[in-house]
Amino acid sequence: MISELRGWASSAYNWMDERASVRSLLRKGLYEAVPVRGAWFYTLGSATLVLILLQLVTGIFLTLLYVPSVTEAWQSLNYVRQHDAFGSIVRGIHLWSAYVLLFVIGLHMVRTFFSGSYKRPRELNWVTGVGLFVLVLAMAITGAFLPWDQAAYWTAVVVTNIASYTPIIGSFLRALWRGGDTMGPVTLVRTFGIHVWLLPAILFPLIGAHLALLRKHGEFGSYVNYRGAYRAREGVETPPAPTQRRIEPPYPAVPTDELWAAPLETEDFYPYQTFKDGLVSVVLVAVVFLLAVTIGAPLEEAANPATTSYTPVPEWFYLPLDELLVLVPQQLIPLVLVLPAGGVALLLLLPFIDRDAERNPFERPAVMIPGAFAVLFVVILTLLGSGRLFNL
Amino acid sequence: MIHLLPFLDVALPSQAPQGGNLIAARAAIGVGFSIHILLAGLVSGSGELGPAIEFLGYMRQRRRYDRLAHGIARFMTYYFSVSATVAILVMTVLLVGFWGHFWSVMVRIAWWPLVIEALAFIMQVSLAYLWYYTWDPLRNFKALHMAMGGLLAIASFIQVYMIDIVASYMLTPTPPSNPIRLALNPTSYPLTVHRTVGNLAYVGFAVAGFCAIKFLRARTVEDRAFYDWAGSFGLLWGVGMTLFQPIVGYSYAKEIQLHTYASWYKMMRGSLSTVFVWQITLLGLMFLVAAFYFTRRLRTDGAPGHSLLRLMTGGLVLATLLAALPHHLAWTLDDVAAAGLDRPFWQGGLINPLGAMIPWKVLALMAYTLLAIAAVTWYVRGLSGVRWGNAGRGEQRLLIVSTILTVAMIVTMGFIRENGRAPDLIAGQMQIQQQQDVSPQPTPAR
Repeated sequence: MISELRGWASSAYNWMDERASVRSLLRKGLYEAVPVRGAWFYTLGSATLVLILLQLVTGIFLTLLYVPSVTEAWQSLNYVRQHDAFGSIVRGIHLWSAYVLLFVIGLHMVRTFFSGSYKRPRELNWVTGVGLFVLVLAMAITGAFLPWDQAAYWTAVVVTNIASYTPIIGSFLRALWRGGDTMGPVTLVRTFGIHVWLLPAILFPLIGAHLALLRKHGEFGSYVNYRGAYRAREGVETPPAPTQRRIEPPYPAVPTDELWAAPLETEDFYPYQTFKDGLVSVVLVAVVFLLAVTIGAPLEEAANPATTSYTPVPEWFYLPLDELLVLVPQQLIPLVLVLPAGGVALLLLLPFIDRDAERNPFERPAVMIPGAFAVLFVVILTLLGSGRLFNL
Repeated sequence: MIHLLPFLDVALPSQAPQGGNLIAARAAIGVGFSIHILLAGLVSGSGELGPAIEFLGYMRQRRRYDRLAHGIARFMTYYFSVSATVAILVMTVLLVGFWGHFWSVMVRIAWWPLVIEALAFIMQVSLAYLWYYTWDPLRNFKALHMAMGGLLAIASFIQVYMIDIVASYMLTPTPPSNPIRLALNPTSYPLTVHRTVGNLAYVGFAVAGFCAIKFLRARTVEDRAFYDWAGSFGLLWGVGMTLFQPIVGYSYAKEIQLHTYASWYKMMRGSLSTVFVWQITLLGLMFLVAAFYFTRRLRTDGAPGHSLLRLMTGGLVLATLLAALPHHLAWTLDDVAAAGLDRPFWQGGLINPLGAMIPWKVLALMAYTLLAIAAVTWYVRGLSGVRWGNAGRGEQRLLIVSTILTVAMIVTMGFIRENGRAPDLIAGQMQIQQQQDVSPQPTPAR
């Protein structure tokens, strides 16, 4: 029986291979040289991809339940909460995987930044990565509008107001997003459209480009692959290059300093890296599932624009900007908004500003000091903002 | 000294001055705590910065980092006893003597933070000495030694956080029965971040000043090179950390505004607003002196970037002038409003619109911060062209000035914070005048 099944599977595989070159595709996809050192750091990228896919699957499911209308949105989710245990868990997974995704993508960027992986010839990997980060943030913010409960409504009021501080076209942008001067049915429908159509339509091609560039240049280029190798240090002799295993072209057998093309030790993507990637992703998905089951996705009272007693609380990923906005007087809000916009611009330009071949984070202080400052700044603002909310 | 008293026809009081001598008591506590903060901040900051420098040295494989970290470790072991003595003096003599009722209430409310504080203190002392005395024996086990340094940094942080719970509670009290609310009272977060970052900056500036003096006295080429580098490193570290302070400080002020409005009003718009202007001006001066040092240090070696740094220094002069403009020319905003001077001239007022506290002060702070970030980045970029040991005497004097400005800043901040709450010891709960006389009385005869 088993041998019969095996025979059928083999025949099916051969049939597919003859028509779609499955064997060569798998070989190309699975047998790629990847670095041994720093392999666990690389799992952040695959975890990001897995979480985005989880968002896609749970998001598709939620569109089957959710009604994007100001009169029905809250009711449809409230129905799910009260009568559909499975739907509630799926909604919880959608929310918590978004939170974990923001955290993991942030870590992925920080790792790439500190290890200098954005340097030549991987500038476009970095640029597409920054684009993905911004899009994921946009997905998170627009997603927060959709439940149309009190939290969603007032988040929408604040966020669409922020758009109005854009110089010259601010009022136009707010009216465009809201569908008029005030919040209303058009606001929700437009935000829903942006969340499920516009942003994914940009996001998924960009993911494709990011992955294609990753495969073109290889998972190399990070400082963690080379740490301690090749470089003479004060009082330390340069170690001799050890014997290399054979690496498929275009990777040279001996790493060259000018491109940092290949690390000292490599292994095949399958099964070594796939195991690590799989393990980290499974753990993260398990954490998301646990949070979805135990805490779930909250749903406050239905939106009430007339209320005067409700205190809006921002999403945690919005806390740094919220804290800045709380601190400055209204006249200076446009100046504060320059900070995130300028930050994104600087991130996009980073590989073109920092073109030195050095990848050691401790040997490139001109980039690391401002970078560490920016990361600490965000962490401190988040801490201060959470402290403020705790004592509201 | 005591023998002279009869000749001067004065006598020492039989007990601590109380009741009618509030000014003397407040002055003694103010001076005592200022000295305590200056010493304790340095020790706590050293317990955090020293291990960080040792780690940096290990990662960069540069011996000068190890030498600097070792020097900081030696400093800690020398100064710990002085710091501890002053702490005990202010706690047990001044606080118990002058504000006895307050302190006994405070100990009951913040019992656990104070107990943890004491335990963290024991940990900090033990680890500081171990960290210093095992430097050479554990040279071949650097990871172990650095782990010990990491524990020292954690102990130093816990110690600061615990005492900050007490200090912040005094300004923004919460129901004392809830330990979580007590530990996370509205200003405990911002004060802890403010002080932790501040201590790290302070020790950086102190290193800069100390190394400047050592550089001026150095006799060997090796020492000159080391102290030149260490002074520059200390200043960079100090400025880098201080860059966080405007935003953290304003966040702290915002919490005070939300939860203890009277104190905030006094600090920002009332009788202390002039001192606040001085504080902001001091911050500008600190950045200005640092940028001037950066410019000169690069210029001395002809390193690239000093021309642009000179421009940034000019920008910092303008920003400092903007910050230094007084909020108003009277003592309180009410005085200004009563005189009809609180409107800009285009609305019929007479006051210089640049003198308003907000938003111009915030604008000045933003300008400081952005210019100082740019100056730090440009200086770091230019460091590849610097040869350590070539610095001039003028640069070293700038380092010493930056240390003095930092000390002035710390004392000013302490003055504003404590006087913002006065005459309350616990805001809205207990005043200075409400101290009980706890002098022992003879037991009545039966």
